[in-house]
Amino acid sequence: MAEVTTTAPTRHGSDGAAPLERNERKSSPARPARVIIGAVGMAVTAWFVCNAFLAFAYYPQWFANSGILVGVLGLVIGIGGSLLFFYFLNLCIEGFPSRFAEGLIPYAFLLPGFSLIAVFLLYPTVQTIIYSFANDDSTAWVGLDNYRAIFSSGAFWSSLLNNFLWILIVPVVTVAFGLAVAVLADKLSPTGEKTAKSFIFLPMAISFVGAATIWGLVYAYNSPGEAQTGLLNAIVTALGGDPQPWYQIDTARLNSLALMVILIWLQTGFAMVLLSSAIKGVPEDTVEAGRMDGASEIRIFWQIIFPQVRTTLIAVLITVLILVLKVFDIIYVTTNGLYNSDVIANLFFRKLFTDQQAGQASAVVVVLLLLVIPILIYQVKSFRDQEANR
Amino acid sequence: MDRRLSRRTIMTGAAATAALGMTGCLQNPDPSGGGGGGGGEKYQPGDTPGNGSVSILGAFGGQEQEAFMASLEKFEADAKITINYTPDKDFTNTIQQRAGAGDAPDIALFPQPGGMFDLAGKGLITPIDAFLDYDALNSTLIPGFLDSARFEGRVYGAPMRMACKSLIWYPKKAYEKGGYSAEPATMQELTTITEKIKADGIAPWSDGWDDGQATGWVGTDWIEEFMLRVHGPVVYDDWTKHRIPFNAKEVVEVFDIVGELLKGKGNVLGGTDAIINTPFSEAPLPLFEDPTKAMLVRQGNFVTGFFPEDIQANMDDEVGVYAMPTWEGGFDGQPILGGGDLASLFTLNDDTVKVMEFLTSDAFGGEWAAAGGWLSPHRTFDQSLYSDSITRQVAEIASGAAVFRYDGSDLMPTAVGGGSFWTGMVQWLQGTKTSQEVCDEIEAGWPK
Repeated sequence: MAEVTTTAPTRHGSDGAAPLERNERKSSPARPARVIIGAVGMAVTAWFVCNAFLAFAYYPQWFANSGILVGVLGLVIGIGGSLLFFYFLNLCIEGFPSRFAEGLIPYAFLLPGFSLIAVFLLYPTVQTIIYSFANDDSTAWVGLDNYRAIFSSGAFWSSLLNNFLWILIVPVVTVAFGLAVAVLADKLSPTGEKTAKSFIFLPMAISFVGAATIWGLVYAYNSPGEAQTGLLNAIVTALGGDPQPWYQIDTARLNSLALMVILIWLQTGFAMVLLSSAIKGVPEDTVEAGRMDGASEIRIFWQIIFPQVRTTLIAVLITVLILVLKVFDIIYVTTNGLYNSDVIANLFFRKLFTDQQAGQASAVVVVLLLLVIPILIYQVKSFRDQEANR
Repeated sequence: MDRRLSRRTIMTGAAATAALGMTGCLQNPDPSGGGGGGGGEKYQPGDTPGNGSVSILGAFGGQEQEAFMASLEKFEADAKITINYTPDKDFTNTIQQRAGAGDAPDIALFPQPGGMFDLAGKGLITPIDAFLDYDALNSTLIPGFLDSARFEGRVYGAPMRMACKSLIWYPKKAYEKGGYSAEPATMQELTTITEKIKADGIAPWSDGWDDGQATGWVGTDWIEEFMLRVHGPVVYDDWTKHRIPFNAKEVVEVFDIVGELLKGKGNVLGGTDAIINTPFSEAPLPLFEDPTKAMLVRQGNFVTGFFPEDIQANMDDEVGVYAMPTWEGGFDGQPILGGGDLASLFTLNDDTVKVMEFLTSDAFGGEWAAAGGWLSPHRTFDQSLYSDSITRQVAEIASGAAVFRYDGSDLMPTAVGGGSFWTGMVQWLQGTKTSQEVCDEIEAGWPK
């Protein structure tokens, strides 16, 4: 992604879009003073900013123990510091012979961002992959033992099956509900549409842990004959049935389905908002043309509107899908993986923190990573295609 | 196109090399480096003078902290020592970090022995026999308490508070009206009582295991209680210290015995589904409903805090308690399962030794006993200091114990005692796994 944008201006510059300017610059010689001032400036700025932030943490009394003062200073020093840093960086590079500098500038400006990605994303990823071949406290190599251990455990395959079901069911149902709501709300009066959409969007503002707790009240179980605090069991008993311990029924993975409902409830609003705006973006004249030709409303939807919102639909689908792959909170709060309802992310958490088996925990997430990669590649590709079509 | 590709290859290559360079090594197996503590010889007063102040780190705050400080006030004035107590909710992690970084408190109060053993293994804690009179201490403590703090032959902590788990609670009025005996000598006798309760159309037991992420610990207590009673403390120690495998035939036998009680038809209110879905704190509630829905709850002394308010206001009239009896044909003496705060010494000097001597003596805790919610681990503690007769009764039960053992799951590695043992109990209660299968699985997951 990144190099597409960076190469563009470079090529633009060197392939003769501005030959005059280029020739002019070509003559500029190296200016070592600028290079040195720039380099020293960068070092001093970085040193000052880092120490300022350490001082915020270590010596709050210097700042009158005031959180607000520290916050304001943090903003000023943080933003000002980066501006100053880039100024010196620019100064340093301009000191080089212009031909060299032109090629260097995009990389130099990318470097800070890229190194952050390397430190916080690439480094942990590679580290995890490497630790998946080491023992419980990462002090000795064990070869493929961790992978052998997880692939031979029933709990891992059960989690994998559950993850597969989550992937299969949640994104599709979420998008279907979101689309249905978006289409139907479009037919309502403006006030009706606003109200309906607000209500469906509301759960988006609730955290996963909060939602899981709320739904815990829906699925709660009391023994037969007692008053039922759970909404679902209250309905079942009112209709003359026996209360069911919903979280414990793993026949046909009913408990996993019950948990999926929570996520669908949370995410439908997200799908609805994006799809609704896509539907509103469908040019009225295409729909009008269909009406003129006497197409039914259903046919207009499937043959005129649907193809035009398809790209948004896929984007939403994939976003929800990636979210589902990472699903953890809901399971952790409700069943903690008991009763065959475990998923990969929760299994990883338990292996690492409860069982303290860093090796096996790493192996579990490496498997998760391998599963996510094809989807990531597809998403990046479809995003690019979409950009290219603009 | 060519140029772009090659540039991309270089970038990716560089990034991968950089990342590899940063990660391609293992971690230091022993980052702490040891030091501190130690001390093999007997400490003589005057060896190291103190500076008049002693820092203590513990896990409890709020009212408990106030009562703790109140119990120390007189001692501080007499001995001219200032005690600085710091409570920390995340004690388990904090003490590891501080001790590892060379910033340990003078004394730490461990709620579980596991973390203490870790630090003792690193040589950071002074064994108590180096500065306390071990034999005198052992003779007034409830038998077996110090053994739970033993690591590789030496004892590293002495208790200053006790929790007692082997208790059976009943609703006094309804229980006496039913004419059931409150003094069963054996579990077998208790079974005939529960049969009688069942015949009267009331569920004998109420039980609740639900505790969020910790669901299952109540079940492990049941197994521990019966391990102690059926096979005695020697096998119990072998089991918790993993000298016998978790799937040994003795353990499987105990699972089956507990299974008969908990899974037996009509024994527990609502059956196994209710046990799993009832929070442990709500288990006693059916006892105090009108009419009574269940007669007995097995739970530690802390459960009284979850009784309904009107019951709590009138504990002595409403609530009865007796010790969980022995097993006929098993261990003869009355065993008690429990826990306690263990005081461990990090800094050895005159002042800290004086504080340790007081904290671990039977003279400590009078003010705390009056405030309530505290039990002395000493048999010789003046029981008239407790605030109500139920607490006094619990203290009598505990001090009358022939043998005391620490909650086994607290002694096992976290992966078992806070993981597979808990989840295993739930699967076993549900019936998805047999006793043998559950024990085999826990054994297979025991950290090597």
